[in-house]
Amino acid sequence: MQMTNRFSFSRSSRRELLRAGMYGVCVTAGAGLPVPVFGQAAAALAAKGKADGKILVVLELSGGNDGLNTLIPYGDDAYYKHRPQLGIPKKELRVIDQHFGFSGGMAGFERLYKDGKLAIIHGCGYDNPSFSHFTSMAYWHTAAPNSGEEYGWVGRLADTMAPSAPPNYLVNIAARQSLAVRSQKHVPVVFDDPNKFSQEKFHDEKEVLDTLPENGKIDNPARRFLLDTAKSAKDASALVREAWAKYRSPIDYGITGLDLPKVVALIDAGMPTRLYYTSYRNNAFDTHVFQEDTHKRLLTYASDAVAAFLKDLERIGRANDVVVMVFSEFGRRVPENVNLGTDHGAANLMFVAGNQVKGGQYGAIPSLTKLDEGDNLIHTTDFRRVYATAVERWLGLADSKDLLRGTFETFDMFRA
Amino acid sequence: MSLFRRFAPILLAAVAASAQGSGPASWQNDLAPISAQDWNAEFAAHLLERAGFGGTPEEIQALAKLTPQQAIARIVRFEGVSNAALPPFDHSGIHDPGLEPFPPSRPAVTDMAKEKGEALGIKVKAEGNRRLQPIVDKFFYWLRASAMETNRVAYWWTNRMLTTPRPLQEKMALFWHGHFVSNEAKVRDYRKLLAQLELFQKQGTGNFRDLTVAVAQTPAMLSFLDAGVNVKGAANENFAREIMELFTMGVGNYTEKDIREAARAFTGWNYVDMKFVINKDQHDDGDKTFLGKTGRFDGVDVIDIIMQQPVTAEYIAGKLYRYFARQDLSPELQKQLGAVLRQNKYDLAPLLEKIFLSRDFYSVASVGTRIQGPVELVVTTYKKLGLKSVPGVPDFNLVTGGLGQQLFSAPTVAGWPSGQSWITPGLLLERANFGRDVLFPDISFLPPDRYTGGGEVRRVADRIRRGMDISTATKDDAKTGDMAESNMNADRDEDFNTRYGSFRGSQLAIERVKALPRDAANVNLSQMILDAKVQNTTQAVDYLIHRFMRVPPGTDAKQKLVAFLNKDLGTTDIAVAQTYMEESLRLVLHLIMSQPEYQLG
Repeated sequence: MQMTNRFSFSRSSRRELLRAGMYGVCVTAGAGLPVPVFGQAAAALAAKGKADGKILVVLELSGGNDGLNTLIPYGDDAYYKHRPQLGIPKKELRVIDQHFGFSGGMAGFERLYKDGKLAIIHGCGYDNPSFSHFTSMAYWHTAAPNSGEEYGWVGRLADTMAPSAPPNYLVNIAARQSLAVRSQKHVPVVFDDPNKFSQEKFHDEKEVLDTLPENGKIDNPARRFLLDTAKSAKDASALVREAWAKYRSPIDYGITGLDLPKVVALIDAGMPTRLYYTSYRNNAFDTHVFQEDTHKRLLTYASDAVAAFLKDLERIGRANDVVVMVFSEFGRRVPENVNLGTDHGAANLMFVAGNQVKGGQYGAIPSLTKLDEGDNLIHTTDFRRVYATAVERWLGLADSKDLLRGTFETFDMFRA
Repeated sequence: MSLFRRFAPILLAAVAASAQGSGPASWQNDLAPISAQDWNAEFAAHLLERAGFGGTPEEIQALAKLTPQQAIARIVRFEGVSNAALPPFDHSGIHDPGLEPFPPSRPAVTDMAKEKGEALGIKVKAEGNRRLQPIVDKFFYWLRASAMETNRVAYWWTNRMLTTPRPLQEKMALFWHGHFVSNEAKVRDYRKLLAQLELFQKQGTGNFRDLTVAVAQTPAMLSFLDAGVNVKGAANENFAREIMELFTMGVGNYTEKDIREAARAFTGWNYVDMKFVINKDQHDDGDKTFLGKTGRFDGVDVIDIIMQQPVTAEYIAGKLYRYFARQDLSPELQKQLGAVLRQNKYDLAPLLEKIFLSRDFYSVASVGTRIQGPVELVVTTYKKLGLKSVPGVPDFNLVTGGLGQQLFSAPTVAGWPSGQSWITPGLLLERANFGRDVLFPDISFLPPDRYTGGGEVRRVADRIRRGMDISTATKDDAKTGDMAESNMNADRDEDFNTRYGSFRGSQLAIERVKALPRDAANVNLSQMILDAKVQNTTQAVDYLIHRFMRVPPGTDAKQKLVAFLNKDLGTTDIAVAQTYMEESLRLVLHLIMSQPEYQLG
């Protein structure tokens, strides 16, 4: 474990150092360099933030988004056969080509696609899919199906990119920390409402409250965890609060901006964060019954929010530095159920959006006639290929083999 | 109080001598019972913390005087203890028969109204503009009123947690509430949620098999898991899947085929208003093969077959253990606990007694290592403050919701993740802010059950009062650039106006739902300190730490607290400061509640 981390660390830092123009340091350093020097370099890189910091934002659509009613294969009769009630007719779609159209409310995604800023990745999934929300989501969170992996893939990514764990490198905007950001070295900054991310204190209490928590050896693991978390809170809370207080945007995010305006606020404030994780919360996409209106509404909100997010990034001049990856833990069963809804399925779409994204469609379109024995789409693209694409081709890590526990072919998806 | 006075010097001595008491490390994983010699006030405090919502020094001493067997029997076998003094829930009277069956969405309501000429007990307006408006208003009325009444149920319940003479009854109800999950957002009927809670209170320490069957037939669960639409010929798997994955066996112990077969067995299970029904013609009466057995099973048969699996007893015993004792549980220990449950035919009380009496429960691995959930944190704090009712300021549901655990609002069917998942940097700070809100109530507090509906509703309300027409009043504030698609939709339909309905529904709900009392916490720390015969500031800090924390902060932090109190009082002598020390003591207590260790129970 230890060895693996050190190895991947030295490799990824070389790349960082190259970009930062510190090649000489790296050459003399080699793999055996004492950690503090690396630590400083990584911290310096992280602190620079703005200039070389490509940023990855992950947006989770929790509950299992019905991909077939998100990007509708109206050109395939089999779709309408499977979905006599729920199938959406072509005239209600936002048609993007001879075969596909977005759900009616997704004006935002339609525009992004037509502007060449949206990558659609077909048929994403994994072998022996789980139909449990929690299990399948854990597989996506860890990028390690059927393994019981303890740490999240975004957390491990942070460990690889910045092993010295500088503060505020990894942000998860959520009521609860996601498994995806669980990290060995970083304490992710997790908050929900920036206005509440503050210790309220009376004047006279400041001296006591500003004391850093104890750092000595502590046997009680729960206590150790609490003390570490308290330190992370002290590091981040003032920055986040100030960033949010300063943030003013004229961009219309729609009914719910999800947490994307908060991400823009932090980026604009120059936070050294490279990895953001957010979600459309509370299993919202779990549409077992009467899904038509609900699902259309959810998609409208999500699509509005992502499109506004890119516009907002443009406004602050950072659109070229950020991409957002959108996924869900599974798609839904191909045939509709009798309750005007759909049950848990398997393969699904992913999306990657951003100014630097080469818009278009990636991966093979899964067959609607050759389904698995449970009537589910058979995946054509291992979802980790998309992770690997973001890790290697966007964030610039030399490879993602150690991180993703395997070699996954990447897509040529980015301009720069 | 007089009882405590006698013991106070002993307590203080115990604080001075050592940290909070726990058994040796060798007790870990040992289910053998502790002996009478092991038993002391620290163990009693630990038991009350876990099996209930903490104890005052008086309650701890009363329990410590018993033998461990007696103490644990008093906690677990509470049937002989009368709780007749606890009032039943006081309904506001917000429901009417026209609301049943409540349609799944606003579009479904308006479609129904267009088709049938009426919905929710209201006829479509004969002529004119917005003919469906009264129906849309009523739809939003019920959404708001049910949610508000559910918050009243939560207050009723937490007052029971605080004042019950049977703490384990409510603690187990809280466990089952997070296990057999349903939530208001989906069920949208406080009556169904209340009925389910009352079942947990009544049968929570009874028999797990009977409880599972009973819960599976509550309208709350049937509604939450869409069981009502699971019919012959097209089974809906949601209900069957979650029963196995989350409620009884855990993932990996059955196949997808088992789920489909179980779903068939549950076909026809439904509810009408508050009653469980089986629709015979929707029930699939054919043979099913489930977990290796074949027969014409119905839902109860499926539950009985699940109960025959050893893994079921282990799953549920392990989950109970994590709730009461600690997070990390060895597979061997889990097997032993499962065996206890199985030997007792799924009766829960013997397992609970075994756990609470075991050496492992009092070992260093268990004591003071549990991160309290938000509801426990808040109720325990109130208990240790000596409060007799849950304060209305701050609002209980806002506080616990902000900390990640609003009752009747579990985020997913898996309930609330526990342990370290309760804490993030943001939430740790919010926990300390809760302490401040209790000890220094906000004088600008706005009761959320009166000042309601969110910014948009208030904006519409304000504009309507100023005499605007509905279209103008409900229009968005101008924003630059393109309007988001969802904001254009909101203004389109002319049969009704959704935003007006949202405002009007809130208004109707405020009219009907009874207000919550909004008294602030009645705290008197000065008296508490004087009653404990505390003489100087160091003893005062020790006393507060011991009374309120299970794991004390480090020496450095403690010294800072004493120094703070000395400075704020201008003396180290309590007798000198006793007429003016209340505010300083509250500041110290807030600082104590701001320590990371305050989360441990």
